[in-house]
Amino acid sequence: MATRRQFVVTLGGAVAAVAARAARAQQGAEAPGATMAGDGYVPVRRLPRPASAKRLTPLERDAVERILACPCPCTLDVFTCRTSMPCGFSPRLHADVVQLANGGYSADEILAAFEQAYGEKILMAPHKQGFNWVGWIAPFAAVGGGAFAAGALIRQWGRRAAERRKAARPVPIEASDDEMARLEAAIRSDDR
Amino acid sequence: MILLGELSLWVALLMATWSATVSFAGGRMRRGDLVASGERSLYASFAFVALSSIGLWTALITSDFSLRFVASYTSANLPTVYKFSAFWGGQAGSMLFWCLILSLYSALTLFANRKRNRELMPWVTGTLATILIFFLGTTVFSANPYARLDWIPPDGTGLNPQLQNPGMAFHPPNLYLGYVATSVPFAFAIAALVTRRLDAEWLAAVRRWSLVSWLFLTIGITMGMWWAYVELGWGGYWAWDPVENASLLPWLTGTAFLHSIMIQEKRGMLRKWNVTLVVATFLLSILGTFITRSGVIESVHSFAQSPVGAYFASFLIIAIIVTAFLVATRLRDLEARAELESMVSREAAFLYNNVVLVGIAFSVLWGTLFPIISEAVRGSKITVGPPFFNTVNIPLGLLLLALTGIGPLIAWRRASIGNLKRQFAAPVAGGVFLGAALFALGMRDGYALVSYTLAGFVFTTIAQEFVKGVNARRRMHDEAVPVALVRLIARNRRRYGGYIVHFGVVVLFAAFAGLAFKKEYDLSLTPGASFSAVDPYNRTWTFTSQGVSRYEELNRQVTAVVLEAKRAGMSPTLIKSEKRQHVDSRGQPTFEPSTEVGILESLRQDVYLVLHGVSGDDRETAEIRITFNPLVWWVWYGGIIMALGGLIVMWPQATRGGTKRRAEGGYVVVMQPSERRTADAPEPPVEAGV
Repeated sequence: MATRRQFVVTLGGAVAAVAARAARAQQGAEAPGATMAGDGYVPVRRLPRPASAKRLTPLERDAVERILACPCPCTLDVFTCRTSMPCGFSPRLHADVVQLANGGYSADEILAAFEQAYGEKILMAPHKQGFNWVGWIAPFAAVGGGAFAAGALIRQWGRRAAERRKAARPVPIEASDDEMARLEAAIRSDDR
Repeated sequence: MILLGELSLWVALLMATWSATVSFAGGRMRRGDLVASGERSLYASFAFVALSSIGLWTALITSDFSLRFVASYTSANLPTVYKFSAFWGGQAGSMLFWCLILSLYSALTLFANRKRNRELMPWVTGTLATILIFFLGTTVFSANPYARLDWIPPDGTGLNPQLQNPGMAFHPPNLYLGYVATSVPFAFAIAALVTRRLDAEWLAAVRRWSLVSWLFLTIGITMGMWWAYVELGWGGYWAWDPVENASLLPWLTGTAFLHSIMIQEKRGMLRKWNVTLVVATFLLSILGTFITRSGVIESVHSFAQSPVGAYFASFLIIAIIVTAFLVATRLRDLEARAELESMVSREAAFLYNNVVLVGIAFSVLWGTLFPIISEAVRGSKITVGPPFFNTVNIPLGLLLLALTGIGPLIAWRRASIGNLKRQFAAPVAGGVFLGAALFALGMRDGYALVSYTLAGFVFTTIAQEFVKGVNARRRMHDEAVPVALVRLIARNRRRYGGYIVHFGVVVLFAAFAGLAFKKEYDLSLTPGASFSAVDPYNRTWTFTSQGVSRYEELNRQVTAVVLEAKRAGMSPTLIKSEKRQHVDSRGQPTFEPSTEVGILESLRQDVYLVLHGVSGDDRETAEIRITFNPLVWWVWYGGIIMALGGLIVMWPQATRGGTKRRAEGGYVVVMQPSERRTADAPEPPVEAGV
């Protein structure tokens, strides 16, 4: 039977061999962080409408940008990202929003145009329709279900405890009045 | 030193493997020599991981660009403090940092329990060593900070400018200290399940480590919010980013556990639930790390996509299977010793508090993972951003705030109508009064009104408890108010420390509600031009541009705008915001330009200045945004108060003559089992307190 020292030496040798192989294999494993360079930008352009069409105000335009998600990994909306982050996407998306807003398109039309180009992921929150309802409702359902289950459990436990209390014969307590008063005071104080 | 560091990493892995093997064997065979060997090798693991960490720090400080990690995250002109903090700025270094903390915690656990919990310790040691094997193995085989480059570059890429902030020297370490501390309660839970010693013994050992984890997560999350606010420049502190969410998940379940553990201590109930929460908190820490490091979810915080995701996913699956098996086979041992008797009891309130906390954790996890679920089901990607999280979590958060006040007001077991009236009268009046006063003053935002009303209710609850306690002490001991207050807290740190944490929560919610009144202005200012803006308190400010300046600093080229801010009743103050282009030691740009915000801070609001850029033919027109952010400082104060309360709760009670002073505080009721306990009475209470 091998001694502990022999075991450690053998295991150490085996680990060293694996280590050498792994060290060779992983040269070049680490890559730089997620890109914010804007690869994957899709232009969203439409022909301008006649001059009589109503134009969005700058505030309304900003509100549209707050509904659009910047495709960079910032997880912010286009307005917030372009005004705070170094980003290859949001300034270009902003330019597209400005062009559409100046072209007489409404907020809904601009959002629809972006959704057509990028898909639903361009919106900061999914539409409340179809499968997305699962996403919106599940947290409330979980909390509601949990609260209902907890309530049912407490009611069941309460019934059982009441039945046991009825069935239990009181045990005579040998204590003076003073002791009982102190015990009650302690329990009351504990109850607070 | 670098070679020694690399070798140490391997030796540490070897030692951890030995420790896990002999500890489990020692526990199974009840052989003390194996158990002792396992403990000694885990101590040795810590020593070697520490040596390896010193090796990496040496490489970072001395700019040894032969290491890929050093070249990727530092440059020769990076300030030394950031070379030091670059240790956790990238995947490989942060993995080693995780190992360092885990091995340190393991050593501390072994030392603290060298004479206690001896039945559990072989399994605790084995579990901790197994977790360490996983992290060391992942570091060595998949994210090795000692990986070499084929050639030595003259300079490194440098550290991301957004990580060059004092907050980054403290925020990630605190989060890691919190995440990793969940391993110790998990190890004790596994040990208790394996040995079927599921009484109060393991809970006592677990409680302090759960508090350690909670405390560091609280500090880490608060510092993260502060860093996001002062560094990212978007004017907020929480964006529901997947990585932010990942840090919140174990905090939420950990908080739930710290409440439900009291029910087990006092009533012997919720035993299965508590084990589940301990396990869930640990697994959520791992899941959060998986989310951050695997690249499955995009985030501005996340590390590069790398093979570590597969390691984490495998570990997570194995851990879930093992713990589910252990819990399923020990269900009978986890039966409650008493049952909840009434809906109107503190136990019930804590149970509902747990439902809401876990519900919020679920909603955060659900929102974070829903894009993946949606893609799997529908085949199309969606974004789940702040609108979703705010819609779902604001009502749940307000419900939690209400329960924060309700729980401590209700008596244990069953509250009488008289008790409820007596306890709730002042807090309800306090909340309603505050809400009505704010409405009368013109506040019309629904959520903000509800938030402040509930904040008033909870604050009055806490104040009432302190007033009652202080008055009782004054009557009994004839003490002055400050002395009575200090002694009240000192004699029952858990209860009154808990109230201080709750006060921190009130302050946080009040600050969050302040965001409803945020005001923003985007403008262009030429030198000397002025702009007037009205803040949320209807006061008019005038901002005058002092011009744009350009200069160079150690590792960056700076474009700055300075505004003079004036308002009636305040002397003029200068605010500066910068656009920074970081460069390497040869003057070459290293990253995209970053923004350094200017903040004029006060307790009522921050004036937050961001320089977007400069325009005009002479490049002298500053494109800026001015934001009035009400009550932001209270977020940091709330975090500090919570951490202080946590420290008070955690602080060990001084012992006198071998008996804990907490036991002398008048709350432990000792009854002789044969004489004084009725048939359905629960196990004797361990102690009172929140």
